[in-house]
Amino acid sequence: MSEIATLTYESACTRIEDVIRRLDSGEAGLRETLELCQEGRRLVEFCAGELDAVAQGLEELRLDELVARLEAGSRPGATAQAAQAA
Amino acid sequence: MLEPAPRPDGIPGSRLSGPWPVGDYAAALRDRLRGFKRVQVFGEVFGLKVGRAKVWFELRDSSGALPCSMWRKDWDALGLESLGDGSVVVAAGGCDFYAGSRASSPSFSFAVTKLRVAGEGDLLAQVERLRRALAAEGLFEPQKRLARPSLPRTIGVVSGEGGKARDDVLAGLRRRGWAGRIVWAFAPVQDRHAAPAITRALQDLAACEEIEVIVVARGGGSLADLFAFCDETLCRTVALLRVPVISSVGHHTDRTLIDDVSAVACSTPTHAAEAAVPVDCGEARAQLRGLAARLEHRSRLAIVERARVLARLSRAPADHVARHRARLHQQGRELRASGRRGVAEATRHTSTTALVLERKARAAAGAERVQRGRDLERLAMALAAHEPQRTLERGYALVEDPAGEPVTSAAAAREHATLTVRLHDGTVSVRPQPYREES
Repeated sequence: MSEIATLTYESACTRIEDVIRRLDSGEAGLRETLELCQEGRRLVEFCAGELDAVAQGLEELRLDELVARLEAGSRPGATAQAAQAA
Repeated sequence: MLEPAPRPDGIPGSRLSGPWPVGDYAAALRDRLRGFKRVQVFGEVFGLKVGRAKVWFELRDSSGALPCSMWRKDWDALGLESLGDGSVVVAAGGCDFYAGSRASSPSFSFAVTKLRVAGEGDLLAQVERLRRALAAEGLFEPQKRLARPSLPRTIGVVSGEGGKARDDVLAGLRRRGWAGRIVWAFAPVQDRHAAPAITRALQDLAACEEIEVIVVARGGGSLADLFAFCDETLCRTVALLRVPVISSVGHHTDRTLIDDVSAVACSTPTHAAEAAVPVDCGEARAQLRGLAARLEHRSRLAIVERARVLARLSRAPADHVARHRARLHQQGRELRASGRRGVAEATRHTSTTALVLERKARAAAGAERVQRGRDLERLAMALAAHEPQRTLERGYALVEDPAGEPVTSAAAAREHATLTVRLHDGTVSVRPQPYREES
């Protein structure tokens, strides 16, 4: 879990490529293969999560709104006012 | 040394003085020109040439032009890289004349001792000086060393509130298929309040932990308009921010100082937005699906291949036994067939041998009988030769005891009361006399 916590999208993609290259080489034993597949699935899920996070719909905030929300300790929500409207 | 030329006669009818040696006149002209009042003139620079000792250029305006020269050390002191044609300058100095000689041409120039770049040129010179100072301090590098996320969730944008740059940024993000969170920090982008406001906006955005990258966007304008983005404090702030800054200020021909200190400089706000999200989300999603499919395929294949091997291995002993059983059956069949063939062969051989023997026996029967007859005859003759009767016939007699056993010694004969003497034609009973020692 701690590995996932420090992952970035690009490092996860790079690692997936490495995993697939290793699997394609046919040199991995059964245990390693299963572990690699498990790790690969975890990474794919992570990347999919990252992509989902930037596909929720554009949310526009003004800096002062963000600061106010952060100071209030609440997570900025979907009610963010579009800058256009502001 | 050449002798001075003799003074020629003047032009007949002319009322002018002379003729004077031209060198004298040139020297007088030089002295007269140097006597002109020293002034400041301004105009546009053209054809600047930097030599080893001097710098030459022309100053022009709509009504005239002046050839100018400047000592190289004075020029270097200005700290100017160069001056493009059309740069407006103010030059201080006075007239000078090089009188020339028999081997060199004379030349006139306005000898510049001080120079100041005016108008935009002035601004450019300032920018250039600051650029060199920032570069010398290594402030162009820190931003470029920052890691830029390929898929930021939150992007900060500094731009003018009503400008076109804002729409361009949104268009760039849409093109990437990105729909995360944008935090706008609107600021004036071209008056005297611009630089401090932009600096503050950048600092505030960078202070929000959520913000992973900042775009500074402004459309085109004159150098004076864009000068806020060359502000020293602003540029030093950008250089030391923890968040990567992507700048897009002015047109692609403009190069403001923020472009130098930022992580990436883009020609348009749209490109800046694309640089802020290097990953095309649509493509990335498709690519990820492909990777996931490959992963699943590999995973399945690894299991299936091994299961096949295991199945083959588990079948192997049974297959082995079956193979041996089949071989044994075959060998049994071959053995039986071979036995049958052997018996038949032996029977045939025996029959043949018997037949041959029979034939041989039949063939040998006649001769053998004759031979055997002869042998018998010979044996009979041999037996006859040993017959006691024949010995008796030759005059010998055989003494037998009453039991009919031959008596072979005198002592034995004395033991019996009667004896029989067998001659060849019959027997005679005899009674032995008592034994008398011969004297």
